[in-house]
Amino acid sequence: MRQRLPAIVSLLVVGGALAGLPFTLSGYHVGLAAQVGIFFVAVLGLNILTGYTGQISIGHGAFMAIGGYTTAVMSQDHHTNLVLTMLMAFAICFVVGLLVGLPALRLSGVYLALATFALAVSVPQLPLKWSKFLGGRDGVQTSKTVSHLWLYGAAWTASAILFVLAWLILRGRVGRAFRAVRDSEIAAVASGIELPVYKTLAFGISAAYAGVAGSLFVLATNGFAEPSEFGVVLSLQILVGAAVAGLGSLWGVLAGAAFVGLLPAVSSSVPVIGSDHGRDVVFGSAVVLVMLLLPDGFAGLFARVRRFARA
Amino acid sequence: MAVHRWKLGALLCAVLATAAVASTAAASHSSSTPGVSKKQIVIGGTFPFTGPASLYKTIPAAEQAYYAYVNARGGVFHRKIKDIALDDQYDPSQTVPQTQKLVEQDHVFAVVGSLGTAPILSTWGYLNQRKIPQVLVATGDAFWGNCVHHACDGSTKPWTLGWQPTYPGEAKIYAQYILANKASAKIGVIYQNDAYGKNYLAGLKTGLGSHANQIVDTESYNVGDSAQVIAAHIVALRAHGADTLAIFATPTPTIQSLVAKTLIGWNPLTFVNNVSANRLFELAAASNGADLDGIISTAYLASPTTQANLPGMKLAKSIIHKYAPALDQSLAEGDGNIIYGLAVGWTFVDGLQHAGKNLTRPGLMKALRTMNETKNPFVYPGMSVQTSKKRTFPMEQLKLEKWSGGKTGDWHAFGKIYNGIH
Repeated sequence: MRQRLPAIVSLLVVGGALAGLPFTLSGYHVGLAAQVGIFFVAVLGLNILTGYTGQISIGHGAFMAIGGYTTAVMSQDHHTNLVLTMLMAFAICFVVGLLVGLPALRLSGVYLALATFALAVSVPQLPLKWSKFLGGRDGVQTSKTVSHLWLYGAAWTASAILFVLAWLILRGRVGRAFRAVRDSEIAAVASGIELPVYKTLAFGISAAYAGVAGSLFVLATNGFAEPSEFGVVLSLQILVGAAVAGLGSLWGVLAGAAFVGLLPAVSSSVPVIGSDHGRDVVFGSAVVLVMLLLPDGFAGLFARVRRFARA
Repeated sequence: MAVHRWKLGALLCAVLATAAVASTAAASHSSSTPGVSKKQIVIGGTFPFTGPASLYKTIPAAEQAYYAYVNARGGVFHRKIKDIALDDQYDPSQTVPQTQKLVEQDHVFAVVGSLGTAPILSTWGYLNQRKIPQVLVATGDAFWGNCVHHACDGSTKPWTLGWQPTYPGEAKIYAQYILANKASAKIGVIYQNDAYGKNYLAGLKTGLGSHANQIVDTESYNVGDSAQVIAAHIVALRAHGADTLAIFATPTPTIQSLVAKTLIGWNPLTFVNNVSANRLFELAAASNGADLDGIISTAYLASPTTQANLPGMKLAKSIIHKYAPALDQSLAEGDGNIIYGLAVGWTFVDGLQHAGKNLTRPGLMKALRTMNETKNPFVYPGMSVQTSKKRTFPMEQLKLEKWSGGKTGDWHAFGKIYNGIH
């Protein structure tokens, strides 16, 4: 119990701060904070897959697209409750993730990364193929739009639930199996862990998280889903978020999500040498800087601070 | 340990710097209408400065040049116009936060001239809900005047207004030309697989009426398709026996189509839509080997090259030279998008003047919905920008134009002015 006390206290502090935030911020900043919550869910999901199970994915934007379109289509065509569409996005992406996890059994390392990259490129093309159903380039519009405050509440409630879920999954047998797969597949098999089960499971869970993030992402775009929102850059942003967070830790995720959620907005107001590409320059150099200073991401930083405090 | 402290220090500096930037004070506004003070009117818009549609970035630059010119002459009712143009890369997921920033952070009076169909569709609900003018949007889809899009449930959006002629209306003119000049034409169409391309195709079919069966083949491409894919579509159109080609595409695929048809030795009667009929783009096609003579398009703006002696074009040249000298060269080569930006700026300032000294958002909308501009110096001579209760498309006139002069040629307008295009 004593060991867990700091964790519980910091959870309460973070939770309290998040609950109080909307009362102190302007509407625009609440919107930005909601954006951070959305990336929190996505980065958390990728961290389960990449950080804990050691499977690289550059394709999580594709799962976000599936989740986002689920929300948009269900709301437009059937006026489904938006929260319900998030649950559907979770379920659908879980199944799709399991299916995508199957090739992961045969591929590893850079080959798996390439395969998921193909996913990131190809999935956003599907709405163009089935434009009657998925709106094509004209997009799909939810029947209801939400306020910044609603979005903020939904994003961080989802974050909290999924964070606890991730913690429950990772602390027990499944989490141990994931880590064993990451550290050495041969050793894991020798210890009786069934690789196919755990690898596909990790993909499924991770994709389901991305699905919820995608669902929220579409709501943040005034409920408008359109292929170009889910480009390759989105997948890369999630990966950058996970790297900045520090792989294999739940605590760094907050910092990683804030990094990718806020930096584009903040850096667009930095007047960089009169260039149209100022935002990209700032984002890129910030990534380089963080990777130089914190090779283990913010999780590494927290661990270091903890050691420092104890010493 | 010392090394770690150094790293921590550096990180802390980075965090503090970020926080300092983030907390730059929001603009204060004293008057009751956001963005309007005694001395200033703050407006904004989103544009593709980078990304796949960045060819359009001269439009916001020209608009800002025009506002600078107006400001230098005292502004509108002694208010200077401040225009905040943000980059959205033609991507709705960036248009939304950027537009929210304009509204909630910069407290703009109106969103003016934002570019692209999907970006407008992603933000018009938000802006109409808050009763913020989203005016003179840079897209010719018919939604803005006569809403048929599923997103607006059959009702129009009162705070959203277009400017340029609609795409279906333009396509109808090509149909009329075909019926009058080549009645037995076998028509092949290449179009973009989205609302933009389909609007054009639908307009062409409506215009052809009972002759719509003369369309022997339609080929659609997706945004981002390679030149090879475009070329394959052109080959297919020819194989279907078409002797007339309509290209309803954005600039890059248009250039690729023109090059492809020349390379396969095909010489049909060719139509290029107005968006791609910018001399700069045709010169690019010609330098890649396209044979351009005789291709037909439409115009509603004065030409900075063939009509350089018009007072409006002289004015354009002097404004650009003084306030946006970086655009001098592309204007000299005939970049119609610069003229477009100036013309839109002119309409907006005209609207502000008619809205009166006591500027409000409903006042601006009323002024822009009852426009009667016969003197906009940047539109084609003889055309006017008008709106009324019954007329929701500000620009409803077009003139046909034809390319001649080969690799160093230009567009030359011909025939009558077509009215009532929508």
